[in-house]
Amino acid sequence: MATFKSPTATSQSASFPFPSIYSFPPFFTRQPNGQTWTSQLSLWSSLILAYCRYNRIWRIDLNTAIGWDLFNNKDINRSLKLETCREILDSMVKKGDAEWLPGSGTNAAKNASAIIYWRRPEEWANIIADWIDSTGQKNAILTLYEIAEGDLSLSQDFRGIDSTILRKALDVLIRRGQAQIMKSADGEEAGVKFFGTQ
Amino acid sequence: MSMRRGVGLAAFDNHERTAQQYSDLGSTILQTHISELTDQLLTFQAALKRFAQSHADEIRSDPVFRSEFVKMCSAIGVDPLASSSANKKGSFWAELLGSDVNDFFFELAVRIIEICRRTRDENGGLMLVDDVKARINSVKGRPPVSQEDIVRAVNTLAPLGHGFGIVRLAHKDFIRSVPQELSRDQAVAIEATQALGYISVEILRDNLGWETARCIAVLDDLVASGLVWVDEQVRPKEYWTPSWIR
Repeated sequence: MATFKSPTATSQSASFPFPSIYSFPPFFTRQPNGQTWTSQLSLWSSLILAYCRYNRIWRIDLNTAIGWDLFNNKDINRSLKLETCREILDSMVKKGDAEWLPGSGTNAAKNASAIIYWRRPEEWANIIADWIDSTGQKNAILTLYEIAEGDLSLSQDFRGIDSTILRKALDVLIRRGQAQIMKSADGEEAGVKFFGTQ
Repeated sequence: MSMRRGVGLAAFDNHERTAQQYSDLGSTILQTHISELTDQLLTFQAALKRFAQSHADEIRSDPVFRSEFVKMCSAIGVDPLASSSANKKGSFWAELLGSDVNDFFFELAVRIIEICRRTRDENGGLMLVDDVKARINSVKGRPPVSQEDIVRAVNTLAPLGHGFGIVRLAHKDFIRSVPQELSRDQAVAIEATQALGYISVEILRDNLGWETARCIAVLDDLVASGLVWVDEQVRPKEYWTPSWIR
C-alpha cells in the first residue's frame, strides 16, 4: 500500500478535517442512479474545493492527485477511480469551479490538469484591489511576483497564488479600469500598475 | 266520589299535567346545569388563555414544556393544531393561543419541507427524523425542537396531500417526502439496513430467507428510487442507507 500525501502536507500543522461523507463507503463508487449521482457530484465538488482551500492547492494534476488522501480513505480502504474523478472535475469546470489546462499530460486527448477556483477570479480581483487600497499601493507598479510573494502579501489569502489565476484576476481589474499591465522596452510584461477602486 | 274521579277521563289531564311539571322541572335543572357548565367552561377557557398567554414564550422555546402543554390539551380532548385550519375566521384555539403555537408548528413544517427538498437527491426522499432534528437544531439562535415536535409538524402537512408523512421502520421514525409508497419488500429491506448501515443480496437471503432473485429485485428497486447508495469496492456489493452518513 502506497502512502498518500498531499503536496503541501509538510507545511500544514493540522490535517484537513474531512466531513462525515468521506467515511461513507459508497461515496467512492460512482452511483448508478442519476439523481443520487447529481447529489454525489455536488458533495465531491464541495469537498474538493474545501480541501484545496484548506491546503492552498491551486491546481490538480489528476495523475498525481488520484493518490492523495482526498481521493483515498485508508481507514475504510476505499478509493475514487480516475475516470470518476475526471467526471467530477468535468462537472466542476462546467459550473466554473475549475478549468482544464490545455495540452496538459502525456495523453493530449484527455485532460489531466485543472485549475481549482476555490475563489473565482472576480473574488481574487476584489481581494487584491482591497489590499492595494488598504496598503496604500495605489499608483504603485508591482511585479506579479511581488503580489504573490512580496513582504506585503505575507498574511494575505492570495499568498503564493498560482500565476495563471493571478493573471485572470488582474484581467478582471484591467477590464474595470482599475489596473494596467506595464511592458518593458522589449515588450515583456514587467509589472502591473494599480489605480485604486475610486 | 272524588277518589273515583281519578280513574275517569280527567285522570289523563292530571297525568299530563304531572308529566309537564316534571318535564319543566327537568329542563330547569338542565338549564341550571348548562349555565353552570358554561360558567365553568368560560372560567376554564379564561384560565387556559391566561396560561397560554403567560407561557407563550416557554411554549415556543422549551421543547419539554411544549410537549407537556400539547399533552395537556389532548388530555382534555382538544388538538391545538387540528382546530386551526377548520374555519376561516381563525378557530377558537387559534384565538385562544394567540396563534403562537400554531405558527410554531407551521414554521417548523416549512423548515422540514425545505430540508427534505434539499436532501432528496441524496436520500431518495426518506430521512430519519433524528437527522432532520440535528439539522434544524444545528442552526444557532433558534430554540431547540424535539423529535415529537417534528412528528407533529409533519402530521400537520397530511391534509396537503403532498406525500409528506411519517414512516416507522426498525423502531425509528422516518420522514417520507415523496408520494411513492414503499413496497413491503422495500420496507423490510430498509429496516434491515438499520442494523449494519448496509445490506447485500447475501444478507437479505440469509436473514430473510428470500430467493436470490427477490433480493436482487428489491435492491435494484431501492437503487432506482435513490433510497440506497451502492458500494462496488467490496464483494458482494453493499447497499448503504444515506441515513448512515455520520
